[in-house]
Amino acid sequence: MKNDNKRNGLIINILSLIGFIIFWHVLVALAREQIFNIPFMRLKDVPTPIETWYALVGSMFTRTYGPGLTYGIINHIEASLVRVIQGSALAFIIGVPVGIGIGYSRLIHNILNPIIEIVRNMPPMAWIPLAIFILVSGGSIFIVFIGVVFPIIINTIYGVRSTDSRLIDAARMLGASQAQIVTKVIIPSAFPSIIAGLRIGFGVGWMAIVAAEMVIRSPVGLGYFIWNMGDLGRYAEMVAGMIVIGVIGYFMNISIVLLQKRVIKWVD
Amino acid sequence: MGRLILKGVSRKFNGFLAVSDVNLEIADGEFVCLLGPSGCGKTTILRLAAGLDAPTEGELFLDSKKIEGVNDECGFVFQEYVLFPWRTVKGNIEFGPEMKGIRKEEREQIALHYIDLVGLKGFENHYPHELSGGMKQRVGIARAYANSPKLLLMDEPFGALDAQTRNLMQGELLRIWQEEHISALFVTHSVDEAVYLADRVMVMSARPGMVKDIFEIDIPRPRVRTSPEANELRDAILKSLGTEIKRAASLK
Repeated sequence: MKNDNKRNGLIINILSLIGFIIFWHVLVALAREQIFNIPFMRLKDVPTPIETWYALVGSMFTRTYGPGLTYGIINHIEASLVRVIQGSALAFIIGVPVGIGIGYSRLIHNILNPIIEIVRNMPPMAWIPLAIFILVSGGSIFIVFIGVVFPIIINTIYGVRSTDSRLIDAARMLGASQAQIVTKVIIPSAFPSIIAGLRIGFGVGWMAIVAAEMVIRSPVGLGYFIWNMGDLGRYAEMVAGMIVIGVIGYFMNISIVLLQKRVIKWVD
Repeated sequence: MGRLILKGVSRKFNGFLAVSDVNLEIADGEFVCLLGPSGCGKTTILRLAAGLDAPTEGELFLDSKKIEGVNDECGFVFQEYVLFPWRTVKGNIEFGPEMKGIRKEEREQIALHYIDLVGLKGFENHYPHELSGGMKQRVGIARAYANSPKLLLMDEPFGALDAQTRNLMQGELLRIWQEEHISALFVTHSVDEAVYLADRVMVMSARPGMVKDIFEIDIPRPRVRTSPEANELRDAILKSLGTEIKRAASLK
């Protein structure tokens, strides 16, 4: 029964994707035959799904495909992913201790909170001009860091604060010191929330990297790729790049959900 | 060892008096039940004995040492189990020894001894969410014992269990207590439970909580719940408690 529902759901998912691709194709085909067009749009310039597919396959590994295209899509994926992972790792290393400090200590909260509350409301993209000026290199990694660190801090604070006070009492009764309460009770208890923060952060970081690569103009990266293809009028490659960005974002999210389930076996 | 003394203990919370001038003494190895209407400060007394809370007036002593700050010579068993959900059964029971810095092999031995004692063999590597309520409380009891306390404080430990499991666990608790013989202060709502378990039952008055009546129980264990002596005692305790329950209801 449950399996049937799951299978039916999957079938509908697949049909929906196929339906969308057909709709996209028909819309562009009608525009090219001048039968139908949406006002103020140049639908006929939009690549069809098939053209996009060929562009994707054609530029996946090819290193010299045309002007400005010294890398294949696979290299762009790698470059963007590496930056997101580096920026996120940095954000994790800094964000978790900061979040624990703020969540645990009123004093640290009072010192850091006003700064964080203002800085976290500056979108990562707003940092791009500054990053270009002050950073000799690694500007895009810095932008990812800005995007990822705040979700991690906020979720860590939340996780620390929502530690069941009775668990802390239980630990004290069993002879735990203040430091042991932090390492043996508060941190494990906040862990699921910290991972949830990492998941949200990863999503933000992925959006931030694409924007950063467009502006910072690193010679390789998915953001750079779609911007450059747009400049060159290679719209099929551009759209292929957009789809790659979406699909990779989707799999990044799924892999963190799987990681969550593997690491946190104790939540039912 | 494990003699607990409360001398004129009172506790005020924001102006209202939760516990007033409580004097009580638990002898070494004695099992005392604290019985009273809800909100009479039973839990407050446990928290004071545990050192999780400090009295507004009066003093508490464990083996003539004044209780100040968390008293980790006590074991605490909570009504809602309060197990560490990220630790397995064994991990939970090892917690106390681990905090003391006892070596891994040694604390593993301690844990296995108590896992065996509470009848959880085969469940060492289960997580709390995989256990039933009764099994969780077995872990709670084992965890308290593994820290080798002088006094066991229990806050309605079987309150969340169904009636059958509850009876079974009472028997189990007595078995463990008789093996390890540590003094116990046990808070409960249930007269039946108190008569089955305790050497002495203290009935508390409605707010502010005071010790109203003390019943000595010398029925030999294992006790038969429906024996004439037990019935008689239950009757007397219910009468003493009844007036307090009515008073507590009118206070709300």
